[in-house]
Amino acid sequence: MLIAQEFVRPIIDWHGVAPELTLLAIGAMVTLVDIIWNEKAQRIIPTLTGLGFLAALLPVLTLWSDRDELPRVMWDGAYVVDEYSLVLKGLFLVSAYVVVLLATNYMHDGDYYEGEFYQLVSASVVGMLVMTSARDLISIFVAIELISIPAYLMAAWRKRDLKSNEAGLKYMLMGVFASALMLYGMSLLYGFAGDTRLAAIAPALRSSESIPLITLAVVFVVVGFGFKVSAVPFHTWAPDTYEGAPTPLTAFLAVASKAAGFVALMSVVIVAFPEQSGVAEPLLWVLAAVTMTVGNLIAMRQTNIVRMLAYSGIAQAGYMIAPLAVFGDVPSSAARAIVIYLVIYAAMNLGAFAVVITAARKTRSGEISSYGGLFQYAPGLAVLMTLFLFSLAGIPPFGGWYAKYQVFLVLVEPATTAGYVLAAIGAVNAVLAAFYYLSIMKQMWFMPEPNGDHTRVQITPSLQAALAITAIVTLVTGVLPGVIPDVGDLVVALP
Amino acid sequence: MIDVIVFAISALIIIGGAIGVIALPNPVHAALSLIATFFGVAVLFVQQEAHFLALVQVVVYAGAIVVLFLFVIMLLGVDRAQELGVEPLAGQRAAGVAVGAVLLALVVGGLFLSGDPDRGGAVALTGQSGQVVPTVEGEQDVIQLARDLFTRHLLTFEATGILLTVATVGAVVLVRARGAEDLILDEPGTAQH
Amino acid sequence: MYSDFLRDYLIVVFFGILAFAVVGAFIGLASLVRPDRPSEAKNTAYESGVDPVDGGWSQSQIRYYIFALLFVMFDVEAVFIFPWATRLEEYGMFGLVEMTIFIFILALGLGYAWRKGVLRWV
Repeated sequence: MLIAQEFVRPIIDWHGVAPELTLLAIGAMVTLVDIIWNEKAQRIIPTLTGLGFLAALLPVLTLWSDRDELPRVMWDGAYVVDEYSLVLKGLFLVSAYVVVLLATNYMHDGDYYEGEFYQLVSASVVGMLVMTSARDLISIFVAIELISIPAYLMAAWRKRDLKSNEAGLKYMLMGVFASALMLYGMSLLYGFAGDTRLAAIAPALRSSESIPLITLAVVFVVVGFGFKVSAVPFHTWAPDTYEGAPTPLTAFLAVASKAAGFVALMSVVIVAFPEQSGVAEPLLWVLAAVTMTVGNLIAMRQTNIVRMLAYSGIAQAGYMIAPLAVFGDVPSSAARAIVIYLVIYAAMNLGAFAVVITAARKTRSGEISSYGGLFQYAPGLAVLMTLFLFSLAGIPPFGGWYAKYQVFLVLVEPATTAGYVLAAIGAVNAVLAAFYYLSIMKQMWFMPEPNGDHTRVQITPSLQAALAITAIVTLVTGVLPGVIPDVGDLVVALP
Repeated sequence: MIDVIVFAISALIIIGGAIGVIALPNPVHAALSLIATFFGVAVLFVQQEAHFLALVQVVVYAGAIVVLFLFVIMLLGVDRAQELGVEPLAGQRAAGVAVGAVLLALVVGGLFLSGDPDRGGAVALTGQSGQVVPTVEGEQDVIQLARDLFTRHLLTFEATGILLTVATVGAVVLVRARGAEDLILDEPGTAQH
Repeated sequence: MYSDFLRDYLIVVFFGILAFAVVGAFIGLASLVRPDRPSEAKNTAYESGVDPVDGGWSQSQIRYYIFALLFVMFDVEAVFIFPWATRLEEYGMFGLVEMTIFIFILALGLGYAWRKGVLRWV
C-alpha cells in the first residue's frame, strides 16, 4: 500500500513543451478564425496553418541549439525531450507543412471543406509531437488516437465519393481494432509492472522471460503498432484507404502517420522490451521479411499509381521494421537507422505524391498509363519524378540508397545468421522494387501521351514549393548524408 | 466467498449481454443488451474499489454512448433489413471465426499455461491471486485520479481535450450540408417533418 | 476486508429487491381487482387520441445524432472535471488554469458546431 501524499504542483519545463503548446495555440487560433469569419476565412486558413507549422519549428530549433540542456525529463520520466524526439518533431512539422502545401489547391478546387481540414491536420500533428516525447503507455495511447482519429475523418473527406467513404470506414474499423489489441497488451503490461512508464516497465520484465501472458502482451502491442505502420499481414486497409482518400491526405497518411506509428513502435520496443527481445525480435523479423516481400510483389501488379505507392510504402515499411529485428544487440544503431530512413522516406515519398497531385491537375487520372508522354509536355515534372523514383528504388546518389545502406549496416552489425538472412531478403527486394519504379519511368519517358494532348501542366506556387523542398532534401541527403543529425540514444530516464 | 459470488454473477451478466449484442436480430435490442454488459463491468469496478470508474462506466457508457448508438441505429432505419447470408468476399466469415478462435486460444492459453506454477498465468500479473492494484490507503480513487491528471499526465489530459473537439468538428463535417447537392443534413426551410 | 466492503453494498441489493417487490405487489394486486376486457382498439399505441400511423421504428433525423454526440462529449468532459472538483482548493490556481484551458478547447468544438448552424432546430 502506498502512502497518501500531498499534491505538489509539478514543475513545467515550458521550453521543453513549447513546440506542442505553440501548435496547440495555432490549432485553436485556426478554429477561432473559422468560427468568427466562417466562409470568409477559408482562403487564409491554409496559409495560417502552414505558417503555424513553421512557427512550431522555431522552439524545436531553439531546443536543438540548447543541446547541452538535453535530455529534458518531465513528469517523472513520462515525457522526455532528447535529440531523438527533436529530430522527429522537426520531421513531422516539415512533413505537415509540405502536406499543407499539397492540399491548398486540391481542397480549394475540389470544393471540399477547407477550414476543418487544416484544423484536423494540426490536431493530428499535435499528437505526433506528443508521440515523439512520450515515454509512458497512457501518453503513447492518447497520442496515437489523436493522430488516428482526425485521419479517419479526413480519409472520408470527399463525402460525395463512395470510394472515399469506403476509405474512411475501412481505415477506422481496422484502426480501432488495432487500438483495442494494443490497449489489451498495454493493460497486461501495466498489470505486470504496476507502472505505465516505459522505463519502469523494462526492469519489471527482466525476470519474466517465459511468462506466457507477458509474451502475449508483447505480441499484442507489436501487432497493434503493426496495423498502424501497415505491416503485412495487417496492411489490408492501406491500398483502399490510400486510393479513396483525398491525395494530399494520402501523402500525410503514407508519410507522417506511418512515421508516427514507427516512433511509437521504436519507443516501446527499444525502451520497454529490451528484456523481452527473445519474443519481440523473431516477431519483428518475420513482420519485416513478409512486409517487404509481399508489398513489393503486389506493387508490381498495380495499374493505379496511388495504389502502387501504397504497396511500395508497405514494402518500405518492411525495411524500417528490419533494424528492430536485431534491436536487442544494437538498440542505438537500430533507432538511428530507422530515424534516418524515416527522414529520407518522408522527403522522397512526399515528393512522389507531389508529382502525382500536380500531374493529376491535368490528366485527372491516377492510372500509370496516363503518365505517357509526361516528359514531352512537362519535362521538369518528369525529371523530378525520376529523381524521387530513383531514390525510392535506392539508386545513388539520391537519398534512398543511404537509408537502405544504414539498414543493411545495422542488420550485419551483430553478425548473427538472422541478421544476414534478413539483409539478403532486403537486397533481393531492392531488385524487385526497381522493376515497378522503372516501369513508371518507361511510361513517362518513352510512351506517347494517350490522348495526344500536349498542353502544359500548371504548377501552382504552393506545389512548386512542395516539389522544391522535397527534391532538395532527397538530393542533399543522398549526396551529403552527414547532414542528418545524429539522434544518439533513446533516453531511458527515471528521476 | 462473497466476492466470488459477486464476480460470478456479474461475469454471467457481462457475457450474456455480449452474446445478446451479436446474436439479437433487432439492432435496438442489441444496443440495449450492451447496457447489461456495461452494468456488469461497473459492478466489477465496484468490487475492485474503483468507485469512480464504476460511476463513469454507468454515466458515460451505459448512458451517453448507448444513447448515441440508438440514435445512429434509428437514423439508419431499423426497419430496413439487410441480407446477411451473402458474403461480399468469399471465405471472409470463416477467416473471421479463425482469427477469433486464435485470439481466444492465445488469451486463455496465456492465462492458464505456464512452466512455473508459482509465476505463470494470471498470478504473474499481480504477484498473488486476488491482489488489488496498488492503491493509497484511506484515499478515494477519484482523488488519486485527479492527482495523476494534474501531475504526470498533464499534457495527455489536454490532448484528450483536443481529441474530444476533433470528434465534434469531424462529426459536424460529416453530417453538414455544403452546396445544393449535398443535402445530407437539410438546410432550414427544406427540412421535412 | 473484501467481504466487509461488499457488505456495504448489501443495502443496495436489499433496496433493489424491495423496489421490485413493492411494484410487483401493487401491480399484481391491481390485476386481481381490475376488470380485464382487451380489444384491438385498446391495444394500439396511445398517441394523444389520434390514430397512430406506421410503426414505431421510423427513421429519425440526423439532427438527433449531433446532439447525442455533443452530449457524449460534454459527458466525458464532466468525467474529467469531477476529480478536479473533489479537491478544488488543493490544486489552487494551477488546477484552475489547466481546467480553463481544457474547457476552452472543448468550448471551441461547441462554438464551431453553433457557428456552422448544426445546432439550429427547425
